[in-house]
Amino acid sequence: MCGVFGVLGHSSDSDTRRELIKSAISALEHRGPDEWGIYNTSKVGLGHTRLSIIDVQDGHQPMKSDDYVISYNGEIFNYLELREELVAQGCHFNTHSDTEVILKIYQYFGVDGFVKLNGQFAALIWDASINSLVVVRDRLGIRPLYCVTFENNVYFSSEMKAFDTIPGFKRTVNPNHLFEHALFWNTLADKTVYESIRSISAGTYEIFNSSGEHKVSRYYQIGETLASQKQESYDESRDSFKALLADSVKLRLRSDVPVGAYLSGGIDSTVISYMVNEQTNHAFKTFSVAFEDERLDESKYQIMASAEIGSIHSSVVISNEDIDNNISNAIYYGERPVFRTAPVPLHLLSKDVQQHDIKVVLTGEGADEILCGYDVFKELKILNHWKNNPNSESIVQSIQSLYPHLDHYADKRRFGLMKMYYEGFLNSYENDFAGLNIRMTNNKVIANYFNKDLGITYNEEEQLETLRSILPDDYANWTLMQKQSFLELKTLLPGYLLSSQGDRMAMSHSIEGRFPFLDHRVVEKAFAMPDEYKLKNFDQKHILKDIFKDNIPKQITDRPKRPYMAPDLAAFIGDNGAMTPMASDMLSEQKVNEYGLFDYTMIQKFLRKFRRGVPETTGYRDNMIFIFILTSQLASYWIENPRYNSLDENNCKVDISE
Amino acid sequence: MDKTDAIEQLLEFIIDTYMVEREEVPLDESLIDEGIIDSFGLIEIASFLENTFTIKIEDEELIRENFGSIIKMIEFVNRKKSNA
Repeated sequence: MCGVFGVLGHSSDSDTRRELIKSAISALEHRGPDEWGIYNTSKVGLGHTRLSIIDVQDGHQPMKSDDYVISYNGEIFNYLELREELVAQGCHFNTHSDTEVILKIYQYFGVDGFVKLNGQFAALIWDASINSLVVVRDRLGIRPLYCVTFENNVYFSSEMKAFDTIPGFKRTVNPNHLFEHALFWNTLADKTVYESIRSISAGTYEIFNSSGEHKVSRYYQIGETLASQKQESYDESRDSFKALLADSVKLRLRSDVPVGAYLSGGIDSTVISYMVNEQTNHAFKTFSVAFEDERLDESKYQIMASAEIGSIHSSVVISNEDIDNNISNAIYYGERPVFRTAPVPLHLLSKDVQQHDIKVVLTGEGADEILCGYDVFKELKILNHWKNNPNSESIVQSIQSLYPHLDHYADKRRFGLMKMYYEGFLNSYENDFAGLNIRMTNNKVIANYFNKDLGITYNEEEQLETLRSILPDDYANWTLMQKQSFLELKTLLPGYLLSSQGDRMAMSHSIEGRFPFLDHRVVEKAFAMPDEYKLKNFDQKHILKDIFKDNIPKQITDRPKRPYMAPDLAAFIGDNGAMTPMASDMLSEQKVNEYGLFDYTMIQKFLRKFRRGVPETTGYRDNMIFIFILTSQLASYWIENPRYNSLDENNCKVDISE
Repeated sequence: MDKTDAIEQLLEFIIDTYMVEREEVPLDESLIDEGIIDSFGLIEIASFLENTFTIKIEDEELIRENFGSIIKMIEFVNRKKSNA
């Protein structure tokens, strides 16, 4: 894992350009603390910070081969097979790294070679034969890659903070994008919350000529193999899905350094850890987040899973103070506002992993998206049944099954109220937003907190237009469950789970996450399965539980799904209603007005509600509003107070000037 | 029961609890559909009505005809009080 940076067409002298690239990659040092390198010409500059995982001795970057130079972040898990294929065609290799494989895949097959890659990557490839920079990102957007055009130069980076080092450039929050981010927990399409900075879209590559003109092409779309996959019976699916997942784990264990796993206490990470254990013959290390607040703590299940698997287990216990003390740093690394504090413990967990000398962890992300694991899949199923059977008596019972972990729903009478709430979505759930209608409706209240001068309003038609721009042609023919899977894979997963909570929190301590459920073959297989294999009645991830029912503890497969949560409001507001000094400062009149995003009067009104502390019954919405505003302020703080690092010249392993 | 007073009481509760401006709260639209409250909000409002107007809301009364807007809620409370 690494950090990459690139610049096209910088006309300054060679030394100035080298300095520019060096200071940019110094902002990415946490992604690759082992060494760094620079390729510097008048046409293109590439920078790289390296975390050495495969071919530690020789895989230095940027790497050059004939007319081609690459700076790349990530892993190609099938690099051994691809290498064999290339060798058979007469290709000669100088190293044993996967970097050289991706470079030579491009050299031999051009952009058509990208479909061969099974991995998580973002790469910048300079092709001198056509004087163009080819940039490519993995199918699901696991590894980040951003792009900004400033004063006629195009810049690329793994993290946006590297752009802060460009002389004269300063990140600015775009309030409309920020509101969109609040509605979906991600900006749609390739937007970011910042003005003029965009993301390279997952599953695409772009070719930039030396004057910065570019063309975008898509090489992967979720669901693209739907028509060509053969229909399988449930038993056949069980076997083939298990075999594919095992192969995905096997590929993701390829590493020249030891690999560990995150264990949350839920089924997904337990399954992954179980499969790792099956494929290795030595004890491996697992890591967990535990909480002082026992309402949030899952230690019991984590220990149970670890004991069953026989892993060497370590956990970090998180207190409310830890959240308050570390959220600012988490936002520095994450670069965008979040809606709950859940990333903060993962920032601290990666530190624990680092201290145990592990650089790579396998985790369970992606199972909820591809196997209908979220409640929204059940909500859609209920709405659909209700629409088709308006007088069905089972609606209230169905709604009751949605939230077994919420105490106040224990009063059965309240489910009548819940029914009224869901009734409002009967007219909208069939539009292109499917289950996102619910998220948007719950989140649009945030518009009230924005600075009135910004004129932020909720416009559903506009949002639908933007969404439609990312939908594939055959979207309309998909089932509701497939649509929701696609939407989750395009919004919450890349915008929050893999980035704010995933890549950025792991990389903050130089840890690489790998996600067996997000192997594109696994995703495609799950996507093509009949809905009822995944969501049987209301049994979520049914096929996964069924496959592993004899291998992992029943208490783990049978328990109701609980979202991973950390203390939100309660970490910042004490029993006496006093805010922590950090939160007070960030939400002070001076800072709120200085950053200009929010309405101070509204924030005051909101806080008045908690003047006697945070009530036990505080719900999703109040926690979300507070964390969103606080972390938006922190994101602005880091724009105003960028950190500057310096790199040790002794760690420079590649320094090419041409 | 004075309906205007009752509407005023409910409005104040909503404004204080859900951080909205008075002019943003429609009297004749669903508070859920308008995004003013979420599912938890409906539960809070039902408790507020029960405590403030000393009524008991029955299962079969939990329908949009009774809770679909501020006016509908107050009319519902008023019917309950008149029948009590």
